[in-house]
Amino acid sequence: MIHKHRIKDKSPALDALIWFVMIFVLLACVLPFLYIIAMSFSSSRAILNNRVSLWPVEFNVEAYRQVFAYPNFFKAYGNTLIYTFFGTLISLCMMVLFAYPLSKNRLKGQSLVMKLVVFSMFFGGGLVPNYLLISSLKLTGTVFAIILPFAINQFNLIILINFIRSLPEELEEAARIDGLNYFGILIRIILPLLTAALATVGLYTAVFFWNDWFYALIYLKSYQYPVMLLLRNIVNGTTMVGEAGGVGEKAFVAIAIKSAVIITSTLPIILLYPFLQKYFVKGMLVGAIKG
Amino acid sequence: MKQKTASPPPAKGVSAKRYFINHWQLYAMLLLPLAYFLLFKYVPMFGNILAFRRFRPLTGPFGVRWEGLRYFNQFLGQPDFWRAFRNTLTLSAMNLIINFPVPIIFAILLNELRSLRFKKLVQTVSYIPRFVSTVVVVSILMELLSPSSGVLNRVIQQITGNPPVFYMNEAAYFRPLYILTDMWQYSGWSAIIYLAAITGIDADMFEAARIDGASRTQMIWYITLPTIMPTIMVMFILKVGHLLSLGFEKVLLMYTPSNSVVSDIIDTYVYRMSIAATAPQYSYATAIGLFSGVIGLILVSSSNYLSRRLTGESIY
Repeated sequence: MIHKHRIKDKSPALDALIWFVMIFVLLACVLPFLYIIAMSFSSSRAILNNRVSLWPVEFNVEAYRQVFAYPNFFKAYGNTLIYTFFGTLISLCMMVLFAYPLSKNRLKGQSLVMKLVVFSMFFGGGLVPNYLLISSLKLTGTVFAIILPFAINQFNLIILINFIRSLPEELEEAARIDGLNYFGILIRIILPLLTAALATVGLYTAVFFWNDWFYALIYLKSYQYPVMLLLRNIVNGTTMVGEAGGVGEKAFVAIAIKSAVIITSTLPIILLYPFLQKYFVKGMLVGAIKG
Repeated sequence: MKQKTASPPPAKGVSAKRYFINHWQLYAMLLLPLAYFLLFKYVPMFGNILAFRRFRPLTGPFGVRWEGLRYFNQFLGQPDFWRAFRNTLTLSAMNLIINFPVPIIFAILLNELRSLRFKKLVQTVSYIPRFVSTVVVVSILMELLSPSSGVLNRVIQQITGNPPVFYMNEAAYFRPLYILTDMWQYSGWSAIIYLAAITGIDADMFEAARIDGASRTQMIWYITLPTIMPTIMVMFILKVGHLLSLGFEKVLLMYTPSNSVVSDIIDTYVYRMSIAATAPQYSYATAIGLFSGVIGLILVSSSNYLSRRLTGESIY
């Protein structure tokens, strides 16, 4: 058919297939969230009678009221905010200090350090050596246990190094002629030009800290738990790590509550996402150029 | 001293001392992050030595006495370990085979979209799952599949009248669910790299093909695919190199005693034997971790070597 009417460059079958796939992708990405939102705003009776699908039935905010009345929720939410903020801050400081000297590939020793960085992307201490290091540093039970070990991420570091390398070299030369030393150059010349890169890397890092639950589980005490770990504990009472706590198991109220926690804990990311999206993508590409 | 170029020049003719005086500030900057990096990445790497040494509580992470290959012999003779090993390879290989081509196809199809605004919309939406926590992904999955209230069971029940199935608890569904959620979470995001590669293709090539009367499908097959092949190759190497490292956190969240036949992978086994155990066997678990780490390293370097020989593309 297609080659018979040779309208060059047009193939309706292909177009139809593409649109079908794309609409499927859109639905697949959005519907699960709509379902959870619907659950979170529906009455437990409606959930019990299986009447909820993509729209709230007997709209009410009871689940959210219960979640907000649960003191541990705000505690956990606050913890997450603190970990995310300081984790990201420390990480950015460390990585800028690391990336600037490493961006100079004629600096003696630079290639050795780069080799160390790259090698550590493919081989490292497993779970146990890391765990034992943290405990012998006496960090277990402190916030530092989940912040410090993740301050330098090799992938993000390479993104930063590539960004710095892409800046015109003349800028730095001019600054040196003006008498700025390396610290001055870093702070006054490089850093202001690095905002887009820092936004990218900062966002990756912030998302990592926001979403973490595992390291909180193995290193922190229950009053230090972040919101993702709280969610996990609310959601599962049956897994092998069985210290599931949280809201009662009256099944159908629990479903609305779980949904409400899923929504509230994911909301910041979903809300910020449209604004930050361009940075995410940019970073992914810069990191991929030479990784 | 002031007219130095921005990048430190090659050290020819400059004494080491002089060189250091000129550039000490760069080294000063490096000091803190490097120490930090070595502490948190390389100390644990050397902590692998525990695989050969007996652990005693409160005596540090490196153990107290040489035990040779004792812990290796222990796990190599342990059916549970081999089960975890097989599960890891099976799940990982299935995941690779099914999920590796998806972002490539997605990127190619996206690129064929003529409406730029719709393309942008699909891209934006398809990246979202990447930023959602694994906990949230698994929680949503549990709700969708719940035997009592989940929408899937409800729909199936209405159509076929079959009784509800507790999917999260059934060993048979573990792998498909793991692979599907991975597809959901990462396909859009992984497509970025291929999209960028496709965008980089010289437009003249398509123009020439069009003049020669090539159809769009032919152009995809004979231009787009071959041109992005190097990118595909590099991504494939990376994936093969990480064959033994699955999404440990997701597996842990999906793990139940009844699906453990297939869901107990190396990482969860290590975790169960050490941190999660009432009587942790740290040396034993480290030995397993080291074993899988070394295999991973071998996989990465050999697939990298192969790719360099076959396609001229490599990651380092």
